[in-house]
Amino acid sequence: MFMKTFEEKWTAWVDDQLTGRELAEFEASLPDQAAALAEKNSARQLGTFLKEQLAAVPMGNADFFSHQLSERIVRDERAAAPARSDSPSWWTIPRLFWTGATSLAIFVVCAVMVINIRPTADHSQYLTQILNARVDPTLSPNATVSIFESKEDKVTVLWVDGLKSLPSEFASK
Amino acid sequence: MHTEATPAQADVSEFDLIKRCQAGETAAFDELVTRYRTRIFGMIYNMVHNEQDAWDLAQDSFVKAWKSIGRFQGKSSFYTWMYRIVMNVTIDWLRKKQVKGGGTEFDDAVQLKEVDPASKTLPRAEAMPHEHMEHGEIRARIDKAISQLSPEHRAVVLMKETEDMQYHEIAESLGCSIGTVMSRLFYARKKLQNLLRDVYENV
Repeated sequence: MFMKTFEEKWTAWVDDQLTGRELAEFEASLPDQAAALAEKNSARQLGTFLKEQLAAVPMGNADFFSHQLSERIVRDERAAAPARSDSPSWWTIPRLFWTGATSLAIFVVCAVMVINIRPTADHSQYLTQILNARVDPTLSPNATVSIFESKEDKVTVLWVDGLKSLPSEFASK
Repeated sequence: MHTEATPAQADVSEFDLIKRCQAGETAAFDELVTRYRTRIFGMIYNMVHNEQDAWDLAQDSFVKAWKSIGRFQGKSSFYTWMYRIVMNVTIDWLRKKQVKGGGTEFDDAVQLKEVDPASKTLPRAEAMPHEHMEHGEIRARIDKAISQLSPEHRAVVLMKETEDMQYHEIAESLGCSIGTVMSRLFYARKKLQNLLRDVYENV
């Protein structure tokens, strides 16, 4: 035990907590060892006296003490309960904020994805649509006629395949 | 350690009781109260010297203990932890009482600094023979002497002399260093020796 002051050393000496070199040094430092020993005995006598006189303080109505305490705890908890039920259970202000921010972020990501959807490269640049297909099944049973139109380039293409003869009304003039 | 625990109660470990209290079981707390109420009440009574005040302060201490038992981590014994609450409540009450009363009951700065660390305590001139003193008178003398100590000095000397607590346990209960405890114990003992020597040397 490391002690600095005279008071600390004296207390430890009275309580027999000083040992070894510390004890020897402290006792050697006392100017009047006999008087110091008398003081030590007196302090210990005081301790015994206080223990005898003060230790057993009777507590009347001990069970009533516990009963009163239990009632008070229940009362306090009941008083605290309404305050607890008034407060939002899950929708706290920080949670509201984060929920809103997350929803907004998801919306923005979806919007960007939809905007960025483009036709893939293997699609025709014409973005064609078949406008009409007319063939004579008797004269040209395997023939196909397709008309493509590219609105972007303002071009219309007539694609004819498998015709044995071109009808006169389609002949270019 | 003196408690009111019966053999059946002692079977239930304090650790279990504390765990049940932390789960909100008031019956477990009631059992802890039963174990410690007399000792706590006695300690407070020795500090405040009034039964009603001691009763109320003991109630306040146990209510605070119940409210904060969720934070008890078991680093110290339950009793040391409980004593810390008791000392906070009681010392705070004594300080407020001192302020209201104008600080006449005790004054550390004036009374304890008057004690020379190297002084010897002397018998009082008007020694009162034990055979003429009844228990009530002895008790009154002790109470009067203790009331001249500051709350902190009272706490230290009572915890040491009546509870047999170790320096480190007292320090933990009061939230101060072991050196402070030993120093306070020195001055409190000197003061009480001066005030009570004629009584205890004749008992």
